[in-house]
Amino acid sequence: MTALLNFMEGSGNPKMPASQPWPEDVILYQQYQVEQITLPDYSQCLAVEAFLRMSGLLFRVEQRTNAADMSPTGKVPFIQVGSQLIAEFEPVAAFVASKGFGLSKDLPEESVAEMRAYISMLDNILSNAEHYVAWLVPEVVAEVTKPRYGCAYPWPLNWLLPWLRQREVRNFLTVKDWASKSLEEVVAEVKTCFRALSEKLGKNKYFLGTSPTELDAVVFGHLYTLQMTKLPGSPFCAVTKEYENLINFTKRIESTFFF
Amino acid sequence: MAAEKMKLDVWKGDWGLPSVDPHCLAVLAYCKYSGVPVEVNKTGNPWSSPTGNFPVLRHRGETYCKITDIFNYLRKEHWGSDFELSTKQSADVVAFSALLEEKLLPALLHLWWMDDKTFIDVTRPWYSRAIPFPLSLFLPGRTQKKAELRVNLTKGGENISEMETETKVYKEAKECLNLLSYKLGEKQYMFGRLPSSLDALVFGYLAPLLKAPLPNNQLHNHLLQCENLCRMVNDVLVTFFPADLREMEEKQKKEEQQRARTSSSENSEFPNRRRNMVLAGFFALSAMAVYAWTSGLIQIQISDLDPAPSPAPSTTRKAQAVKGEEN
Repeated sequence: MTALLNFMEGSGNPKMPASQPWPEDVILYQQYQVEQITLPDYSQCLAVEAFLRMSGLLFRVEQRTNAADMSPTGKVPFIQVGSQLIAEFEPVAAFVASKGFGLSKDLPEESVAEMRAYISMLDNILSNAEHYVAWLVPEVVAEVTKPRYGCAYPWPLNWLLPWLRQREVRNFLTVKDWASKSLEEVVAEVKTCFRALSEKLGKNKYFLGTSPTELDAVVFGHLYTLQMTKLPGSPFCAVTKEYENLINFTKRIESTFFF
Repeated sequence: MAAEKMKLDVWKGDWGLPSVDPHCLAVLAYCKYSGVPVEVNKTGNPWSSPTGNFPVLRHRGETYCKITDIFNYLRKEHWGSDFELSTKQSADVVAFSALLEEKLLPALLHLWWMDDKTFIDVTRPWYSRAIPFPLSLFLPGRTQKKAELRVNLTKGGENISEMETETKVYKEAKECLNLLSYKLGEKQYMFGRLPSSLDALVFGYLAPLLKAPLPNNQLHNHLLQCENLCRMVNDVLVTFFPADLREMEEKQKKEEQQRARTSSSENSEFPNRRRNMVLAGFFALSAMAVYAWTSGLIQIQISDLDPAPSPAPSTTRKAQAVKGEEN
């Protein structure tokens, strides 16, 4: 219950005065990156991590097998600040902005509108596509997702929990009208999204203006995950290699903020 | 071969709109923007639709039910104004369409189908009137369940209560309206002078919110504050759908006339008020009287007041009268 209240404080319109000092011990929780985490979760975790790094804030990453169960919304990643738990990208971004460290505070209104629109496009298309590939394409489910998702549990939980999760994801994609799509249609959607991103980026260093914004963090999370993850059948391989400027963008973000 | 005309089935209109459904409105607006030769069939009978919902576009034996499919098909047939846009603007169309679906649609679903007051006062009566009898019993319920599932699965979760979901959904929708308002600015349409498929979508989502007789609603009030969005919706209605506006004006005039006729007595909400009061009072009185009589509280004896006169003199009087007549 307290966790829930804390979440409300963090995600609801925070009324804290701006420019407080950044708290010392901020922990980002996620699942085990090498052995356990699934494709859609990884892109979300990476987006939050990139965002915190771009803001120049101090934090440390803790890997837990039960990170999803610790999270107030049931989704990874979440950050712990003192007694508060804040989960998912948008509430985290709102929390950071309320402390006076936001990336988009100097943007004109129209650019903020574009930023939000592109972030929803990524959430809407790429995140759905990642869920689709990870949980509904039979060979990926059997060879990658289910073994990874269940790796932390003993038998029979390592069989039961992935199955329950798969059912959940399928329901989620059904209400979004994605479950009935074929893999080709999903890849076509992803391609539309990549083309739009590539056009938006053009030859710029960042998507909006000369400094990184939330949008750059979210784009990096998704693109890096899609480019680096090896999947059986590699459905997104051709699409990710098609747009030169997007590949350079992820390389640049990685070398600027992750080392 | 002569080009076969496209056929478009949409939900019926009301409140001065060509249709009440956001997606139907968007397709209609898109067709009007680019002058697609389409035969529009406004109906309330989803029996012929493969999904039980509208819009449905039929052309050359193919059927398209989803709005994205319809737009894609029309674009493929080179209808539409999106070709005038630069590649960057096309990217913006994709992004803002996603924004609408992600942030505004859940709030609209919540408003129409999950907000108890609106559902009982507006949505359910409207659909049960529009849909013919056997279907009207279960189709609104099915759509409601679908809307609930969609909102709860995408915006809620196991650990989040219904109230929190509602707050979140409306907060996001209001933000979305603000963002659209920034994007539109003082321009006529989102990308200058020519309407695009994004304008069609925005119009579709906002027009019912603006025009429907919703019980006092936060989203409606918020939209009224975004003046440039209201202006755009009204402009589109006046420019592209004048017939529906005229229809509504006529209907309103007729209703007003009727009201003027009936409200000559003081209260127009209750016509024949005095008559009903008199009837009710009469009924109550007679019911009390009947009860009193049957339970024996009052007894009625039927008797003449004066003592019964002897028969003999009356006959003689009659006889005299008869005689008198003869004289």
